[in-house]
Amino acid sequence: MTDAAMSTGPASDGPEGNRRSVVYKRDKKTKASVIWADRIATRGIMIGGFAVILAVFMIAVFLVMVALPLFSSGRVTDTKSYSLGTAGADIVSTSMDEYRALAVELLKDGKLSAFYMANGTRLANPPSADLGGKTASAFARTLRGDDIALAFPDGTVRLGRISIDPVVTPASATPADAKEIAPGVKATATTLYMQVPGGQTRALQPKIELQAPIQVAPAGTAIRFIDYRVGGTSESPVETFVTVDDRGTARLSTAYSQVNMMTGETTTSTVNTEIPTGVATANVTGLLLNTPADRVIVALDDGSIRRFDTRNPAKPRLAETARLAPPGVKLTALGYLNGENSLIAAGADGSLAVWTLVDRKSTATADGLVMTRIHEIPHTGAPITALSSSQRTRLFLAADAAGGVGLYHATTERLILELAKSGGASPVQTALLAPRDDGAIVIGRDGGVRLWSFAVSHPETTLKSLFGKVWYEGYSEPGYTWQSTAATDSFEPKLSLTPLIFGTIKGAFYSLIFAVPIALLAAIYTSEFLHFRIRGIVKPLMELLASLPSVVIGFVVALVLSPIVENWIAAIVIAFGVIPLTLIGSAFLWQLLPQPLALRLDGMPKLIAFFIAMAAGIWFTILGGPVFERLFFGGDFKAWTTGEGSATPFLFLLVLPISFLAVFAIGGRILGRSYRDSLRTKEYHVAGFWELGRWLLFTVLALGLAVVLAKLFASSGFDARGGIVDTYVQRNTLIASFGMAFAVIPIIYSIAEDALGAVPEHLRSASLGCGATKWQTARWVILPTAGSGIFSAIMIGLGRAVGETMIVVMATGNTPVTNWSLFSGLRALSANINVELPEAVKDSTLYRTLFLCGLVLFVMTFILNTFAEIVRQRFRKRAAQL
Amino acid sequence: MADMAQMSDDYSPDRSDSAASALSVVTRRKASDLTARGEPMVWAMGGSLAFGLMMILGFLALIFWNGLTAFWPKPVEVVTMTDGHVIAGEPVRTESYKPQKDALEALPANLRASIEAHGGMSTRTLYRIGNYDFYSNDFQWVPVFNVKKVERPGDLTLVERQEWGVFIGRLVSISEDGKQMSISALDAEHDKARALRGKRIAIETDEVGSINRQINALRLSVRRAEINYGQGSPEANAEAGRAAAETAKLNLDFDRLSQKAAAARAAEDALKIKVAEIGGETREFGLADFVRYYDANALSLLQKFGVYFSRWYEFLTADPREANTEGGVWPAIFGTLVMTVVMSLLVAPFGVVAALYLREYAKQGRIVSLVRICVNNLAGVPSIVYGVFGLGFFAYVLGGSIDRMFFPERLPNPTFGTGGLLWAALTLALLTVPVVIVATEEALSAVPRSMREGSLACGASKWQTIKWIVLPRAMPGIMTGLILAMARGAGEVAPLMIVGVVKLAPALPIDGMFPFIHLERSFMHLGFHIYDVGFQSRNSEAGRSMVFVTALVLMVLVLALNAVSIRVRNRLKRRFAGDKF
Repeated sequence: MTDAAMSTGPASDGPEGNRRSVVYKRDKKTKASVIWADRIATRGIMIGGFAVILAVFMIAVFLVMVALPLFSSGRVTDTKSYSLGTAGADIVSTSMDEYRALAVELLKDGKLSAFYMANGTRLANPPSADLGGKTASAFARTLRGDDIALAFPDGTVRLGRISIDPVVTPASATPADAKEIAPGVKATATTLYMQVPGGQTRALQPKIELQAPIQVAPAGTAIRFIDYRVGGTSESPVETFVTVDDRGTARLSTAYSQVNMMTGETTTSTVNTEIPTGVATANVTGLLLNTPADRVIVALDDGSIRRFDTRNPAKPRLAETARLAPPGVKLTALGYLNGENSLIAAGADGSLAVWTLVDRKSTATADGLVMTRIHEIPHTGAPITALSSSQRTRLFLAADAAGGVGLYHATTERLILELAKSGGASPVQTALLAPRDDGAIVIGRDGGVRLWSFAVSHPETTLKSLFGKVWYEGYSEPGYTWQSTAATDSFEPKLSLTPLIFGTIKGAFYSLIFAVPIALLAAIYTSEFLHFRIRGIVKPLMELLASLPSVVIGFVVALVLSPIVENWIAAIVIAFGVIPLTLIGSAFLWQLLPQPLALRLDGMPKLIAFFIAMAAGIWFTILGGPVFERLFFGGDFKAWTTGEGSATPFLFLLVLPISFLAVFAIGGRILGRSYRDSLRTKEYHVAGFWELGRWLLFTVLALGLAVVLAKLFASSGFDARGGIVDTYVQRNTLIASFGMAFAVIPIIYSIAEDALGAVPEHLRSASLGCGATKWQTARWVILPTAGSGIFSAIMIGLGRAVGETMIVVMATGNTPVTNWSLFSGLRALSANINVELPEAVKDSTLYRTLFLCGLVLFVMTFILNTFAEIVRQRFRKRAAQL
Repeated sequence: MADMAQMSDDYSPDRSDSAASALSVVTRRKASDLTARGEPMVWAMGGSLAFGLMMILGFLALIFWNGLTAFWPKPVEVVTMTDGHVIAGEPVRTESYKPQKDALEALPANLRASIEAHGGMSTRTLYRIGNYDFYSNDFQWVPVFNVKKVERPGDLTLVERQEWGVFIGRLVSISEDGKQMSISALDAEHDKARALRGKRIAIETDEVGSINRQINALRLSVRRAEINYGQGSPEANAEAGRAAAETAKLNLDFDRLSQKAAAARAAEDALKIKVAEIGGETREFGLADFVRYYDANALSLLQKFGVYFSRWYEFLTADPREANTEGGVWPAIFGTLVMTVVMSLLVAPFGVVAALYLREYAKQGRIVSLVRICVNNLAGVPSIVYGVFGLGFFAYVLGGSIDRMFFPERLPNPTFGTGGLLWAALTLALLTVPVVIVATEEALSAVPRSMREGSLACGASKWQTIKWIVLPRAMPGIMTGLILAMARGAGEVAPLMIVGVVKLAPALPIDGMFPFIHLERSFMHLGFHIYDVGFQSRNSEAGRSMVFVTALVLMVLVLALNAVSIRVRNRLKRRFAGDKF
């Protein structure tokens, strides 16, 4: 206030200045510093406050921004087309380097043709393989594309490799005779040199190496079909190929290479086995082998395939004959997806479908596996004639007979990019998807080259793949699956949020079932029955628990409580019945006290009595648990959960509440008003005896009814196992809900108690003054008034349970299951983020999906909390008006 | 519980007419019947309260008991089994359990019968037998029916070692350079060995570490010059030349120090001790590896206290060892405190300013009350969501740009572009800012309007009013909110796991190196320490006592902050109590 005082003080210009004015003149101006302080503060606070609030809201915006690209389909960034002048029909295969700089065509005569992809400039003199004047009659390459096999009309096969290995060298190492063919790109007769950042160049030199011919078929018998895979390890590769020759003989051949340690020479020996196909070569349209060489597929011209089981390479057997296209429809293209578990089959009717082997334990096939269509991909246009699978995802490129080219994703069953419309272009000879899934090259029969660059960052996610059922290969039916990583390269991430949302809801539901009754009952007692001095101790104590770090709760629950619960599981199960019964039994015993004594003991002693009753309940539970387990669960509850023994005992526990409700409702009706009236004429403690007797009678009846009901349900086939109980695992939902109850009880308790306390005191006084007991006041006056406040307390508790992370991470096994079992684990959204985000690569699909998880969590809790907040404000307003 | 609903139904007020008609018939002696007292329901409510209180008190008791007793030296028992096998170890705990069927079948009939009489339950004791390098196992359950004899011989020593956990057995002899010495000289020789070790570590970490840092700084300066002036430019070449000369000098220092360290290590390794485990197998260890040793069964009460407090001292001041399962948690305590302080420095001005804006400056209307609801709700948004935001926005977007602008020479290694102290503190500040806003707003709204108007009427400007009248009176509420935010921040783990907490940080976030406060460094945190030791370590049993103590420390920290907030609120309230108009 000093500033203000000074500014309003007299302006002391000295006696000279004021001589003429008679009246002492006051300067009414506020000091500039005050005005400026005020202006700065106003601006600062406005901007700062606005910025903070904006920042907080930015969270949602940012989460959306990161998650949104998941749903964008790709876009084509560049298209080119030119002609090279080679006859398209001579080309057997195309390769490119992973930077999409150099493309290499292998021609039938063993020559290579290499060109700079951006403008089609050819290298003058690329290497070529000497085929001794022969031309290949069949060709095969591995999915990665480097390893090739050429088969010849004389019955020989040559294995080899086409490679474009990039070598990074200093810029000075570029030969002087290299001509510039594009800005920053130079070429010699054999090599392409590209400038890369850091003053270096990347040299790309195509190479082809072929091994010595292997005689597979009898001399002079042409080989018509071949497929080739390299398995084993990189140190000792196993090269396997399968061939079909002119006479219709199919052979599986394995070439074992051994390096002599002394001389360094490589010796190759080949083992051939005939496969009894029983079909003529003329009917064969395709041949496929997989990398472990345990499956050979022969496609026939009637649209069917024969699958041979070659797990025993010495004795191949026909495993299955399957039809991949309707009768009379030829298969126009057949190829493996990455991982070689699924087949892409294109029919002459324009159909496009993905087939995989599903273990159905079928007797119709030799190994029980059945070729099943798991995806049907919409395709319009001419039949597809060329396929190229991605080397990293389940994308594939498909080109049709009329020159149409499309990029498809198998699992999500959709066309990602339509690169070229069907019609107008020459039929496609070869098509190749770039190694990094960022481009494609298609060469037509006329030798025309078409090139695309595109960006498809998240082809595997759609709304359906995130929330719906998806049929992944290796599964016997569509399902909700979360599995983000695995050991193998060809693994397909399965990112369904449904099991995670389910896990979140399951955990929150069970913990609230446990927490809400305890918290609300305790809050009502604290607010309405407890002396205010004791309340002053009890309430902060309960609220203390709310501030306990959840990691401590999680640790105690997971490492201390879970082994105890596992050992005492039967006792825990019956605790839900025994403890309430003990409490209510104690209440009826308390009623036996004479009225004056009961009144005198009403304060602290009664509170202590609650503790004693509670302790007694726990004691009974501990005593009763093993007995109960021995009598009804064959002495081992955990074994019972796996399916041993009868369903009745657990059903008995489940129907207990219902039968209690029923017996007490019907029993009360039957005893009728006359019994109640007769009670009123008696002394309290005498009436207490009657009431105790009635309660015991009803309890026995209820137990009996429960047994009957349980038997009835069990005989009609009901069983809790597979429903809310299942095989027991140590870290389970039960443990997690205990832990979350620790976190949620104090919150619900505290807010509910506040709501009850906010009910105006005059309502309470009026009710008590009219002669209502405390219980009647609480039940009929306070509770209805505070109802909405209590409701919002529950909602806020639910919000906390939904977002709780550490307890769930620690106390459950984090298994993404979708069942309601108390004894199995769960994987909540929050725990999932916590476990996976530290490992996720920035901007990868997993990373964005985890942001989507965060967004879902944000939205769920925001809705819950907003709802609760609105209800609470309405309640406050109403309470204030009362 | 079914009966209560039923009973209360029968005496609902809307049936009062029938009750009245009943009254006329029955001769009433009492005002109401038993059901009006709702005794069963009252007991259900009271029982729930009792249960809740028992839960909390049991929880606190569990943590306090286990935490406080974890460092108390336990006796070492030598257990002779019925099969003649002998183990020596500290009894950790005894529990009742259900023996496996095959274990039961191997038992004599009378034992089996007695177990079956107890419902198939028996008891077993967990012994910490230590000597992981001997047995590749340091805990063993001993079922009570396998025990023949339990003794506590006075000559067994428990040794805490730098590596391999504890050793339990007998100390045989000590030697220096192969020269045998009497075991009675152990204490003096041990002190000597520890001093040598301390010296060596000082050389290795401080001096050698400083040289490494300088060499790295030179490398970065060359890189920076290359980026600024281009590779091969004269400036870059000059810098490279300078760096090469200095590096050569530093390398000489490095060699000299390495030799010094090697000499110190040799002197340290010369001191050996021979020990024998309970089975008689002997081995020789470096004496400097012994952290602490005592004859477990021959300790006086005073000595026990000595061991107890020395362990506490180590726990609170030393670095962790043995994959965090032993040693101290000083870096974690320090990390938690620094993070909380940085967070409070960030959250206090922002929270208060936002609340001032909402309450004093913004036009009160629909939008502001909507904003208020949203802010309220943000306090309920799961902490992990803030963690996701912190990683994505602070670390990757903000940190990534900072790296590109200021630390291009270190790329692709991130400096700020990954989790770290600053981002963790910012994330938690964002997480707790709604708490502060709500608390501050409540406090502001509690300042009577008359005081504001009085001040304004006296000619004070709005800011003067806020500064001199409103804020001082709202201070208790603001402080409470702030301290509650600190308590929440200190106890939060889930978001930190994503934005910068690590299980073992190489350096503290504040040290003697310029610029002294390293906001980009990752740090250790008590809460994460609990998770890591309890769930990620080799043997959760080995770290269990450590986890309890860490949990105790964290809980005491959080509860103390809460208690302080209540104290502050009460004290400040009292100070302003007389100011009411």
